[in-house]
Amino acid sequence: MLRATGIHKTYRLDRVEVKVLRGASLAVEEAEFVVIMGASGSGKSTLLHILGALDTPDRGGVEFKGRELFGAATGNAARERYRNREVGFVFQFYHLLPELSVLENVMIPGLVTHPFWSWRRSRGRVRQDATQLLERVGLSHRIAHRPNELSGGERQRVAIARALMNRPTLLLADEPTGNLDETIGAEILKLLAELNQAGQTIVMVTHDPKVASHAHRQVRLADGVVRASETAGPRPSAPRATRRVAP
Amino acid sequence: MAGVALGNDASGARPGAFARAATRGYNPGMYKWFLAWRYLHTKLIAFFGIASVMLCVAMVLVVMSVMGGFLDTIRARSRGLHSEIVLEAGSLQGFPYYEEFARYASAQLPQVVRLTTPVVYSYGILRVPATTETKPVRVLGIRLGEYVQVNDFRKGLYYERFYPGTTHLAPQPLPVGGFDENGAGRLPPDLEAANARWRESESDREAVEEYLRNPFEKAPRPYVTPAVPGDRVFAVDVGGPHYAEPENYGVIVGCDVLFERRADGNFDRHLCRGADLALTLMPLSQAGNPTGEPPVKLPLRYADDSRSGIYEIDSLCVYVDADMLQHQLAMDAQPLVDGGFTRPRVNQLLIGLQPGVELNAARDAIDAVWLRFLGTLGETVSEADERLLGFVRVYSWEDLQRPFIAAVEKEKVLVTILFALISVVAIALVGCIFYMIVEKKTRDIGILKALGASGRGVAGLFIAYAAAVGICGALLGTALGCVFVWNINDIQDFLAALNPALRVWSPEVYTFDKIPEVVKRADAAWIASIAVLASMIGSLIPARVAARVWPVQALRYE
Repeated sequence: MLRATGIHKTYRLDRVEVKVLRGASLAVEEAEFVVIMGASGSGKSTLLHILGALDTPDRGGVEFKGRELFGAATGNAARERYRNREVGFVFQFYHLLPELSVLENVMIPGLVTHPFWSWRRSRGRVRQDATQLLERVGLSHRIAHRPNELSGGERQRVAIARALMNRPTLLLADEPTGNLDETIGAEILKLLAELNQAGQTIVMVTHDPKVASHAHRQVRLADGVVRASETAGPRPSAPRATRRVAP
Repeated sequence: MAGVALGNDASGARPGAFARAATRGYNPGMYKWFLAWRYLHTKLIAFFGIASVMLCVAMVLVVMSVMGGFLDTIRARSRGLHSEIVLEAGSLQGFPYYEEFARYASAQLPQVVRLTTPVVYSYGILRVPATTETKPVRVLGIRLGEYVQVNDFRKGLYYERFYPGTTHLAPQPLPVGGFDENGAGRLPPDLEAANARWRESESDREAVEEYLRNPFEKAPRPYVTPAVPGDRVFAVDVGGPHYAEPENYGVIVGCDVLFERRADGNFDRHLCRGADLALTLMPLSQAGNPTGEPPVKLPLRYADDSRSGIYEIDSLCVYVDADMLQHQLAMDAQPLVDGGFTRPRVNQLLIGLQPGVELNAARDAIDAVWLRFLGTLGETVSEADERLLGFVRVYSWEDLQRPFIAAVEKEKVLVTILFALISVVAIALVGCIFYMIVEKKTRDIGILKALGASGRGVAGLFIAYAAAVGICGALLGTALGCVFVWNINDIQDFLAALNPALRVWSPEVYTFDKIPEVVKRADAAWIASIAVLASMIGSLIPARVAARVWPVQALRYE
């Protein structure tokens, strides 16, 4: 479904060039739960950002369902649509919009999708989907609260609900438990595992082996390349039809 | 990749829409409006933007309205001051042959000339014998019946409004009020009848109601007992109403010549109608020298007062009968030592035009007729008259007021430009505010981009936000400006009551006794529109910065 081949990425910090990725390759199949591990600064977040078209590789390519994300003919608009429709992001620092309520935060991807002129028609459905997602992550009693009124774990669950809003093919999670204590982090991982059990494809970045154990495949990134890939558990056998996690 | 779908569409959009987006740009986004609205009422900094736009809009609207109203009032009142066309002597000696020309012009241009009336003017000293108060005045001799037909003079007459048909300049006695057999105050029958006619007329209902609510307002000093019938000032004694001799020529006095204006805009008329006044004049010869006779001292009766609304006129002019003044100034036919008579002279000939006649065309036509008329006079004109005729010019009312109107027009443009320049500060301020917002919202921009928002969409969000700030500021500013302008005279009175030095609108300086308080809808509409546009322009650079935010950088840190 998703295939990154020979990804190179170099950052320039003042006068120093830092080669973060030096030909990293990765393939992700549908309904897989893949964890990318590596030391701090090994380029795992950079690889995740490139997989989600948040960043562009200097060299190499990413194919999504056989189509190149960074080809010469693929414009920004296509990548924007890819981020909106095909990918859901979960960040370590939640990245919720502080002015909006929990429900509105979850609705935001829907607000990006739907134009002004059709909003009256689609508003009810978007709102219903967002409410169902919040029920699913156990936050139906918090929909009117602002992010600053929630605990870290609750914020991360809101972020997961938001990531699932447009029923993405791929969920990309960047250290989703990195900012949470062990108990809350375990709850989040359990939630991600349940989503994967339901057929959601997940790629998660972490440096914590305990966290990585929840995935069924781990890849290790070192010196800018993928060094090893090992299977940690059985792949879910969810049918293709449930690949996208419905609210 | 263009034209090829990158994936399935799970949210109900048409298949292939993604492919089109690849080439056309993908930027639908209800979020722009949603977030713009949310930022508008949750972010304190937006209120500073709204406040700055509001103050600028209000400021420009007040300036435009006051200056525009000032200009409009000048135009309207200038038009009503004289007549459409004026033949002006250009000197105090006046010009002869005015009656002949009036007949000639009426015959030559019957479709243009409706009415002509002569005006004689000079300068004199007005004295109030009761108080020994004296004032320098400009004396205009008019034929009242004709004069009110070529301009708006009648509208400004005070007693004529309440006692229609009773103001005239002919010799008149002093009207004295008295009491009837029931002890009720009464004026002489013709004044009572005139007042009754006015009360029954439909044209002035508000003033009639006001009059009926408060018929006993005044307690004037001379001639008058404290119990005065009616709210207009008349002499009263213990007998029945009557007229007291002697009969003197009437004089209409500019309202600011003798009377003090109260804060409510009305005047303290401490003279009763018919009070004695005296006017001293200095006649000039045809050559412009004093005649050698002692100055003329005329006893007059205060027949009415007039209010044109232009302070220079109302504080200076008094109006008497034209023929009487002409005679007193020795401008009528004077016997010559070698037999014969001089030609009577006047200083102006006012010409009222037929309805629908274009002003400048009429002026040119009358000017041409004047030149033809001079040609018809031939050798019969004396050398002195010829010299006087040479000074005569034909003006339209616009010509006479043009220097003044043009100056005010320039003043309006200048002040508007100055205040508009100040308003540029609002654009800069909106720019700064939005730049600060973008700086503060960099992370949110990154989040939105991670969720699929485009650079153009994010820029659109900030422009929509600025438009919302501009619309709110423009609406509030328009409301504030309107309320301020509508109450500008009350505000000034309030400030003046606190400290007289705060009275900024002095009638001596600004010609009119009230600050114009009309807001034109068109002015308000375009000022508000420009404010909204300016706000959006102010947000362009910050919006561009927002559009270029690189999501990875924005999302890297908490």
